[in-house]
Amino acid sequence: MCGIVGYIGEKEALPILIESLKRLEYRGYDSAGVSVIDKELMNTKAAGRIIELEKRLTKMPGRLGIAHTRWATHGKPSDDNAHPFLDCKKEMALVHNGIIENYHALREKLESEGHKFTSETDTETLVHLIESNYRGDLKAAVIESLKQVKGSFALAVVHVNEPDKIVVARDESPLVVGLGQGENFVASDVPALLKHTRRVIYLQNKDLAVVTRTGIEVENFSGEPVQREISTVNWSAEDTEKGGYPHFMLKEIYEQPKAIMESFIGRIPGLELEIGGMEKEDFDSIKIVACGTSFHAGLVGKYALEQLTGLPVTVEAASEYRYSGHARDTPLIILISQSGESADTLQAAREARKRGSRTLAISNVVGSSITREVDAVLYTRAGPEIGVAATKTFTTQLIVLYLLGAAMGQARGTMLPHQKAELIDGLRRLPRDVQTVLDNRGAIKLAAEWMSSARDAYFIGRNINYPTALEGALKMKEISYIHAEGLPAGELKHGPNALLSKETPVIAIAVRDHTYDKMISNMGEVSARSAPVLAIGYENDRELRKSSDLSLYVPAVQPLLSPIPVIITLQLLAYHVAAARGCEIDKPRNLAKSVTVE
Amino acid sequence: MAQLKAVVLAAGEGIRLRPLTLYKPKVMIKVANRPILEYVVRALAQNKIKDIVMVVGYRRERIMTYFEDGQKFGVNIEYEVQDKQLGTAHALSLAEGKTGERFLVMPGDNIADAAMIRMLLASDTPNSIAVTESAQPSKYGVVLLKGKKVTKIVEKPESPMGNLISTGLFFLSDKVFEHVRRCAIAGHHDITAVFQDMMASGEELSALKTVAKWSDVVYPWDLLDLNARVLSEGGESTAGTIEKGVHLKGSVQVGEGSVIRSGTYIEGPVRIGRGCDIGPNVCIFPSTCIGDNVTIQSSTEIRESLLMNDVSIGPGCLLSHSVIGDGTRVGAHFVAGADKAQVILERELHEVPSLGVIMGEDTTIGSNVTVDPGIFIGSSCKIASLKNIHRNIPDNSSVV
Repeated sequence: MCGIVGYIGEKEALPILIESLKRLEYRGYDSAGVSVIDKELMNTKAAGRIIELEKRLTKMPGRLGIAHTRWATHGKPSDDNAHPFLDCKKEMALVHNGIIENYHALREKLESEGHKFTSETDTETLVHLIESNYRGDLKAAVIESLKQVKGSFALAVVHVNEPDKIVVARDESPLVVGLGQGENFVASDVPALLKHTRRVIYLQNKDLAVVTRTGIEVENFSGEPVQREISTVNWSAEDTEKGGYPHFMLKEIYEQPKAIMESFIGRIPGLELEIGGMEKEDFDSIKIVACGTSFHAGLVGKYALEQLTGLPVTVEAASEYRYSGHARDTPLIILISQSGESADTLQAAREARKRGSRTLAISNVVGSSITREVDAVLYTRAGPEIGVAATKTFTTQLIVLYLLGAAMGQARGTMLPHQKAELIDGLRRLPRDVQTVLDNRGAIKLAAEWMSSARDAYFIGRNINYPTALEGALKMKEISYIHAEGLPAGELKHGPNALLSKETPVIAIAVRDHTYDKMISNMGEVSARSAPVLAIGYENDRELRKSSDLSLYVPAVQPLLSPIPVIITLQLLAYHVAAARGCEIDKPRNLAKSVTVE
Repeated sequence: MAQLKAVVLAAGEGIRLRPLTLYKPKVMIKVANRPILEYVVRALAQNKIKDIVMVVGYRRERIMTYFEDGQKFGVNIEYEVQDKQLGTAHALSLAEGKTGERFLVMPGDNIADAAMIRMLLASDTPNSIAVTESAQPSKYGVVLLKGKKVTKIVEKPESPMGNLISTGLFFLSDKVFEHVRRCAIAGHHDITAVFQDMMASGEELSALKTVAKWSDVVYPWDLLDLNARVLSEGGESTAGTIEKGVHLKGSVQVGEGSVIRSGTYIEGPVRIGRGCDIGPNVCIFPSTCIGDNVTIQSSTEIRESLLMNDVSIGPGCLLSHSVIGDGTRVGAHFVAGADKAQVILERELHEVPSLGVIMGEDTTIGSNVTVDPGIFIGSSCKIASLKNIHRNIPDNSSVV
């Protein structure tokens, strides 16, 4: 997603802006640009990586500037379509994240008034609109312009005539202000600021702020002052460095024993979880709404919550949720978003509240947008995740869902004491069990080589490992670009069998639960169609070896928890396949970490 | 002047510490709830040495995941990978070009005191070796001196020569790399050979005798002594939940998210990590250290022992002078009492005054198992209930 940064202070702005942009690289982008004001306005932009931009940069003195990484929505990636955009007089520069829905109408009107456009983007209308409203007061011009705009945005704008300020505003797209000493910062996301400050203000929807060297004033779009509290961020900027690993993804996979422990520390004794009183409420059904990997976590959560609470649970993709159109929905809606900024999930949270449901968010980012849209929040505590392919945030989301299921199950009396003891024991063992999976990387790497030249692959599982198969396939396609599909094993015979051949490896998850025998026969059916089978099951499972061409083993955790060691095996499998194929692992093509457009 | 850098050698496996090093390098074994290497990094940070080139090799992911880029510890760590552990000089050679003109070299696997580094820096003489007196010089590089000048270094001498040994802490100039290369061509990859070569070509090597504390861990039972020593430095802090009826005496630290249940008696110095569940009615005596996410069930007694992370101890157990590796799970009524023990390691007989059991990682033990003093049980073993263990159990074994 697009990334915005801004700086105003006593230091030279350019190096700070470029450095901060690099810390937003994880959001995914295809062009970048920077504007600096020092008496006059200087502007440089380039399609491609930030390094392409750096090649073009000449010296740009000045202690005020804004910069941007763009992820194309309107208009292809190109120099012209990169931000910042300038007005006709080249006195004002603007960067924007989001989508202006009524930009066609605005653009026609502005063009008829004589404004010259240089790009195909929706953003450029904003800068001309502000220009048309500019009467010597940038803030007033922005307020006036926003009244005419429909859509979602976070924006930052600077003007040569007012070199003492950055004017920023947001509605539906994230924006934070970082507070320094004699300098202040603006960014789409916290990692861009961490090198400079930990004191941040999260702007909220319909906030407009004037950021100067010494302060920040926040107002709403009507110009009335509002108070926003200063938060302190616990992460360190350095947390976002790779620390000896070739890729963030591998670093994050290896962090899972620790991340999993952090996610349950202090939450295990008694398995009681406080979620704003909701843990004691008597819901008759639950819905989970999320996107991507979080959606898969929700699907695992369905099996876990149903087993632990006895309640019916449904799962919906956040981007589809709004179309299901129930005036009255399930009494509890759980929204899962790693970043807490996914536009689809945020929209679903608002919709859910409108429908009168209680809402609970599971997120990794304290203070993120979603946490302000819901009744209660559970944090995953996985630490910052930079690799676009989610790894440790998925497994910690699962831990939180297990803990939630256990807490609700206890309150409802559906979880028996021996189940509780077994779950506590199983959870506490996980950090070590996960370490065992990581220590098995040699075997996983061999399996990766075995399938690295495949064009298509199928991942199958049953019961709680059906979503694990979906997530395993997602990891594979995200980073290795192999066409991978996850399927319920029982569905093979209803169609996909037609695609099987010796060219299509099938990855089968077969842990010893009540579906094991069925999985073994599915593997037999696959082999009979000459497709090679890679089986993943519990250690010391001799039968598995007989039924597959290749097998990988995980510690025999209780079946409820088995998605965790299995998915970590599949994460490593995807990683090593991608590495063998020479793919750019941390920034897969066409993908963004935090999807802040719908 | 550029910031002085340090090269920390952390690539080794630590074979003599098996089974504790089957899944992790020696430098990552925890003493008083911190990896040995963390003491080294902290000692450097205390001396304002912020830039560290860390040479890693064996199971390096454990080191990288823990230290990341070092910022949490106030330093910048750059990693260099030594794929084969050929020797200390070879490890050092990987840092060539990254050190600056003068730099420190430190072993990552013994606990160096910050004062020792300070002394070496204060001398301001490159080509200095920190030396110390040892009761067992034959295990180390023995250094012979004339005044402050080193006249000879012999690695693990067979016949007694003196009791001054090299601590592995050096203050060097980048000229050393020429000698490292020369020795490598001749097939010598250890640092002693490099020093000999330097002296042979007329360079002066001086020794600084340290009185600061220096602790090396050679054998697993050394961990217990070192742990006791670090714990004796004290400190009290309790986070987590301490139930009513718990008695804490002396220096006791309890980490965040831990629960100490009613009737538990803890006599410090004792350190307990984060997210543990201990009790009811557990007795913990000095000098014991318990890692993170550890469960100890009712009526168990633990004395002078080291329990690493994710360990689970059943009800009614006795553990004394013992080391239990990560993720090991012990059933009810396990007994590992301590006594004078004779241990044979590397074909050498060691008399240890008091030792219980040394147990590796990820081992599972049934109930009512009793272990003789001084026994080693490997990593990833499974021991059935009602067994008496009289002999060492190798890694990955099942006792049925």
